[in-house]
Amino acid sequence: MAAHAHAEHHEHHGPPAPHYSSRVPPGVLGMFLFIGTEIMLFGSFFTAYFFVRVVNGTPWPTPPFHLPVFVAFVNTCILVTSSFTMHWALQSIKRGNVWGLRAGLLLTFLMGLTFLVTQGREYSRVGFAPKDGGFATIFYCLTGLHGAHVFVGLSILLFMTIRAFRGHFSAEHHHGVEIGGIYWHFVDVMWIVVYLTVYIL
Amino acid sequence: MDRRLSDRLHPLRNPLSSEAEAFRFLVVVIVGALLIAGAAKLDVYAGVAAAVAAVAGIAWYLRH
Repeated sequence: MAAHAHAEHHEHHGPPAPHYSSRVPPGVLGMFLFIGTEIMLFGSFFTAYFFVRVVNGTPWPTPPFHLPVFVAFVNTCILVTSSFTMHWALQSIKRGNVWGLRAGLLLTFLMGLTFLVTQGREYSRVGFAPKDGGFATIFYCLTGLHGAHVFVGLSILLFMTIRAFRGHFSAEHHHGVEIGGIYWHFVDVMWIVVYLTVYIL
Repeated sequence: MDRRLSDRLHPLRNPLSSEAEAFRFLVVVIVGALLIAGAAKLDVYAGVAAAVAAVAGIAWYLRH
């Protein structure tokens, strides 16, 4: 027993193994805290929306402007579908299906890109600018803030897709996809909230 | 270590603990969104009431 402990002591090099007090792995905890700050950021924009629309009583949308509800609905369907392909990608690699991962990530990236391009096109056709009153400002702030998050998500997806095609992920090692997937689902949930408040209610 | 706070928080489901959990949470949010959109078709205030109910429902989901 003593000889075994002595041998183990001699085999160990470098600093001692870290002690984690949290039940959540550090990488996931980091993403969790990051998303917590993001929720607070979106919360400040939704507070501004509440004041403009409810407290000030600004008509929504302010005449003569109209919101492109149908285009936004199609865009919502695209983004929601991209979360399903993201989930499929991760489930594939968990089963060791590398091509399923690659196809899922590529589809997710393309759908996210379609969402962003459609939103940019919508901005150019919507007929009002951020300077056209409280309604227009809040519309651009909320949808623009979300668009920025989609851009960040696309950047993460691009790296994940490149790594997937280089064979960096396997059934045992796919933590990078897991973290990116959590972020992508968060972006999707935030869009559903933005879509409901800005376009539907 | 004093884990009283941690143990009290334990029943709350963390929707971001894994990708699968985040996806499940997304599906719950989609169901809530469909209810809100359906109610808002009838009347904006019905949509707001549905939104309050949906938030309560999601809170219940996170507790169980």
